[in-house]
Amino acid sequence: MKRIVISMLILSTLAISTGCVQVKPWERDLLARRDMAWDPDPVEAKREAHIYFSKESSMPGGSGGGGGCGCN
Amino acid sequence: MMAFRALVLFATLMICLPSATASALEAGDRAPAFAAPSLGGEGMVELGKYRGKVVYLDFWASWCGPCLIAIPEIERMRSEFPEDQFQIIAINLDQAEKKALRFLEKNPIGYPSASDPKGRLPEKFGVDTMPTSYLIDRDGVIRYVHRGFSRGDGSRLREEIRALLRTPKLGKK
Repeated sequence: MKRIVISMLILSTLAISTGCVQVKPWERDLLARRDMAWDPDPVEAKREAHIYFSKESSMPGGSGGGGGCGCN
Repeated sequence: MMAFRALVLFATLMICLPSATASALEAGDRAPAFAAPSLGGEGMVELGKYRGKVVYLDFWASWCGPCLIAIPEIERMRSEFPEDQFQIIAINLDQAEKKALRFLEKNPIGYPSASDPKGRLPEKFGVDTMPTSYLIDRDGVIRYVHRGFSRGDGSRLREEIRALLRTPKLGKK
């Protein structure tokens, strides 16, 4: 019996600790704002990604490595 | 074995608990009566006031892209059906009323819109998509639920409205 209670306590703690909150469809007001986007400025994000792969010769997917010139 | 079953049941309950929400109203369900303050104005918007008419109830917000496609289309529909038989009601769900009013300044509508920033009404109706609209018959029963909105949906809605307008009120058959 003691083991069941402990298991239930662990399960409850795990379920609560996930911190999951369901955002209702009509509560996406703030999430829909442009500044809440992963890349609020797509042009700026593209430019930075280009500099990154040119300098590092690695990138998070999308194109091949470069030699540092930024021309590919 | 009994203990194991109890544990499995408990674990299932714990997993299901966060997703437990009010069930969405579907065609055939009675539309709950409501009265909500008018958006940017005085007075209340009441569903019961339009009993006897076919009602198109639209949940919208200024931040919701498809809602903004829907609104001009709904406004066009308003003038296509007889005013004494068909009524459009909108429920705005913006948390800041001024954003909705700013949108309506550019896209004026000729039908009443209520404001429900706390989302009590979508909770009541079980709205699970933005936008969602309900076509309610003359007796207050939901006959059609339209989730989302894309260009071209207007013709489907018009068909549904026409079919409903042809149906007499219960008791008048």
